[in-house]
Amino acid sequence: MAEAHDLKVIGTRPVRPDGVEKVTGRANFGADLYLPGMIHGKVLRSPYAHARIKSVDVSGALAMEGVLAAVSRSDFPEETDDLGQNVIARDKVLYHGHAVAAVAASTPLLAEQALDAIKVDYDVLEPVLSIDQAIADGATLVNEQMHTNGDASQPASNIAAITKFERGDAEKGFAEADVVVEGEFRVPMAHQGYIEPHACTATINEEGKITVWCSTQGHFDVRTQTAAILGTSISKIKVIASEIGGGFGGKLSVYLEPLAVKLSELSNRPVRMVMNREEVFRATGPTSATWCKAKVGAKKDGTITAATAWLSYEAGAFPGAPVGPGCMSVLAPYDLENFSIEGLDVLVNKPKVAAYRAPGAPQAMHAMECVIDDLARELGMDPIDLRLKNAADEGTQAPYGPKFPAIGLKACLEAAKAHPNYTAPVPEGCGRGVACGFWFNIGMQSSAEVLIREDGTVIINEGSPDIGGSRASMCLMAAETLGIPYDRINAHVADTESTGYCNMTGGSRTTFATGMAVVQACEDIIAQCKERAAMTWDIDADQVDWDDGQAVPKPGVNADVDPLSLADIAKTWGRTGGPILGRASVNAQGAGAGFSVNWTDLAVDRETGKVDVKAYTAIQDAGRAIHPAYVEGQMQGGAAQGLGWALNEEYIYDDNGVMENAGFLDYRVPVASDLPMIDTQIVEVPNPTHPYGVRGVGETPITAPLAATSNAVRDALGFRVSELPMSPPRLLEAIDSQEG
Amino acid sequence: MYRFNYHKPDGMDAAQQLMADAEDGVYLSGGMTLIPTLKARLASPTDVIDLSGLALSGIELADDSLTIGALTLHSEVAAGNEISSLSNLALAIGDAQVRNRGTIGGSIANSDPGADYPAAVMALGATINTTAGAIDADDFFQGLFETALEPGAIVTSVTFPVPGRAAYEKFPNPASRYAVVGVMVAETNGDIRVGVTGAGPCAYRQRNFEQALADNFSVAALDGLEVDYAEFNSDIHASAEYRGHLVGVMARRAVAQIT
Ligand SMILES: Cc1cc2nc3c(=O)[nH]c(=O)nc-3n(C[C@H](O)[C@H](O)[C@H](O)COP(=O)(O)OP(=O)(O)OC[C@H]3O[C@@H](n4cnc5c(N)ncnc54)[C@H](O)[C@@H]3O)c2cc1C
Repeated sequence: MAEAHDLKVIGTRPVRPDGVEKVTGRANFGADLYLPGMIHGKVLRSPYAHARIKSVDVSGALAMEGVLAAVSRSDFPEETDDLGQNVIARDKVLYHGHAVAAVAASTPLLAEQALDAIKVDYDVLEPVLSIDQAIADGATLVNEQMHTNGDASQPASNIAAITKFERGDAEKGFAEADVVVEGEFRVPMAHQGYIEPHACTATINEEGKITVWCSTQGHFDVRTQTAAILGTSISKIKVIASEIGGGFGGKLSVYLEPLAVKLSELSNRPVRMVMNREEVFRATGPTSATWCKAKVGAKKDGTITAATAWLSYEAGAFPGAPVGPGCMSVLAPYDLENFSIEGLDVLVNKPKVAAYRAPGAPQAMHAMECVIDDLARELGMDPIDLRLKNAADEGTQAPYGPKFPAIGLKACLEAAKAHPNYTAPVPEGCGRGVACGFWFNIGMQSSAEVLIREDGTVIINEGSPDIGGSRASMCLMAAETLGIPYDRINAHVADTESTGYCNMTGGSRTTFATGMAVVQACEDIIAQCKERAAMTWDIDADQVDWDDGQAVPKPGVNADVDPLSLADIAKTWGRTGGPILGRASVNAQGAGAGFSVNWTDLAVDRETGKVDVKAYTAIQDAGRAIHPAYVEGQMQGGAAQGLGWALNEEYIYDDNGVMENAGFLDYRVPVASDLPMIDTQIVEVPNPTHPYGVRGVGETPITAPLAATSNAVRDALGFRVSELPMSPPRLLEAIDSQEG
Repeated sequence: MYRFNYHKPDGMDAAQQLMADAEDGVYLSGGMTLIPTLKARLASPTDVIDLSGLALSGIELADDSLTIGALTLHSEVAAGNEISSLSNLALAIGDAQVRNRGTIGGSIANSDPGADYPAAVMALGATINTTAGAIDADDFFQGLFETALEPGAIVTSVTFPVPGRAAYEKFPNPASRYAVVGVMVAETNGDIRVGVTGAGPCAYRQRNFEQALADNFSVAALDGLEVDYAEFNSDIHASAEYRGHLVGVMARRAVAQIT
């Protein structure tokens, strides 16, 4: 692997290729495609959180002038999976806002009016609205066919699955402990809060070929999911990923696309569908509300002897809460002999949860990192020293099985201890809270093609929708590998028919895995260029070196020739075998785990309960920061989202399961004026499996802020508040009840 | 949004005539409240009468009073004038986009329970000038989105006496920045008034605070005073009780600013 000091381009901070288009408003997002003859689709959504559908009759809508198509469950194959049932309700509606029918009409307004003409007959059922309700004896069942872990010998249950990780003997470990602390915590359901709502346009040509243009984190997944829900072949569908205005995990599943395709098929017109913000809140995936219990025991010197966690997560209306990743993450920062972790995936009548940045980790780590903080307090130890004492390191067996290769947790903790924001005393009237963050990161499949133009400039085609500046990172890695300037390279997110298969942009995999494919494709180019040079010079290819963007004879090779750049080689490629293109595909293994340490200083206004965040510092191991500004941006963005979730964000439901704050005027994300400068420090412990040492960096940043904030509030108030968000009324109530 | 007829008259009489002729007309100023309401289909007027062509903008000082034209933007009031507490109040409204469109006339005519200006109207003893005559602050706000404005009348300006001292403190909603509770305390020619917004259905004066401050203008004078929150707003952001508590806290902080 290249050493940092050898790198010329990686680690610099050029302007991203998509930046100007975005800030000037020219970039084309999901709702920006206009096609001749295009009509507009709208979705009829359930007014109930739980009801049996007796009948759906769309004929009234179809009778309206200007309405060109209407669909309901009967227009889709009966055999379908959870995703299909989420896209269009079948026997039951399972949450308020669940799609029941859709229409397409000549204008969006007309489409909306046509929804009123659709008749749906419901048998209203009692909704299940919390984990407590869902797991109580005799609870109403969200899904009558659901048995825990598929065990049909047991009665049906709202608990879809129970996951367990165990090592050693936790009971024995607690018995050996000098101090045992425990706590119980609740974290509310929260939305990713991406600015761009879901949007797509679908069209079908005369041969039945479907084209979908949409805002997504994974256009290949849109293809797979849409084909499955429609009962058609993926070969019939091409998906083009538009620019994307944020996703954070929320744009990995389809909601509108199969409906738009069906409406297009029936109307023989292009159909555009765009959600409004209210629909985004009511009907797309938030992350789980959770109820977690955590317990740790330690010796007086701080050595942790045992830990347990019980994590229960709301999945929404279908199984699939991110409780597995919660279990993987909850104790990942620690080297432990004895632990047990149990996770529950619980159905409730709320929207099907979707991934949200390190899905499942923030909630679980909030519980454990709060308890670790309490342990430090009990032991009278500095919270970073306690963590250093027990920190996972290279060779530590992760709670979920494998041994960690080189990881940067200790480096982050050491950097935190030495950081001026940590050595500075806690400001007067403030509390300080520390927490560790972790995300395992993933690799998976990516492809890349690198094409050379006749002038020697370079095109990269790859399949990872760019949600965080990945095109800039691809260009940087290609520039470094090829030895040419960054501005001679363009990267494109190619559609599903113009590049090799690629998994979604998720799991912080893009710079790691797609980056690996791009680097290998550039190496393919270099190998071919060496051959072309060898042919030109009439020597062997293994007598040619690639040095600083040029083919040169190896030292000692007797050839009196000028070096050949990409442009030189392109100029004569007609004589050496034709145009040059490189390609590579990977199923990348060994995505290095990402660790972080965050702390914040904040003040609590004891008269109003309002928290004022004064300072926030995030330190994270990036393996190697390809574009440091974008790594810092990820760290700051994660901190901002985490602070919002800790302090104000939550879905508020009424007793009928209707969300009461489905808009940004009532759902309280932080804005710039709510936040302090978020200081960042990148630590680089290179990931040995990536050619430049990259680890995923996008998700780790949101895993520590919840606990760091809770711990700072604990420090400021002198007692713990264990339910998030720590909104002003909730904190004031806690303060009042503490003061009696 | 439903269909409606749009008009942009260039005179006050024309505007009122259009309103009189409309089946169900509504005036439009900055649109920061009205347009979202239309978009959400919470209102379906037949006619929208845009007032932006009227010459109702500007701030004038005369006889120790500041008269602010109804179409004056929040950002223009925030830019500074003889009543610094009023510019501070305007600067804390919403965000820059809202302040660059929203108008004082629209805010006052609308009587949103969480709007900021009404606290100043009450505390400064302002006069609301309308095409149907002037209305005293104490008579203007009548309930949730209800005012003493005559049907079809236009707010033309608001006259604020320049106070000896005044301060505004608000507890903003973390999302919209509307006042969960906002309190302005003012002393004008020896008269002390405390205007409260956000807490109840509309802005009102906290009379027991005024009396206590008249006897002894100090933070301590407000200690232990009751705020009757029985009729206060209770919503997903704050309970009536929490709002009642904030009235005391915000009032004490406002007093602290000017003692
Ligand atoms: C995101 C957001 C945040 C906001 N935050 C705040 C805040 O923190 N504090 C705050 O006080 N406000 C806030 N507002 C409201 C904002 O200040 C509005 O500008 C104000 O409430 C209405 O003023 P307008 O000029 O936009 O009126 P419009 O929306 O045009 O009209 C509002 C109503 O008043 C009537 N009307 C308008 N002008 C007149 C007139 N001259 N005579 C008679 N009737 C008239 C209209 O018919 C309509 O019914 C916020 C708004 C938004 C969208």
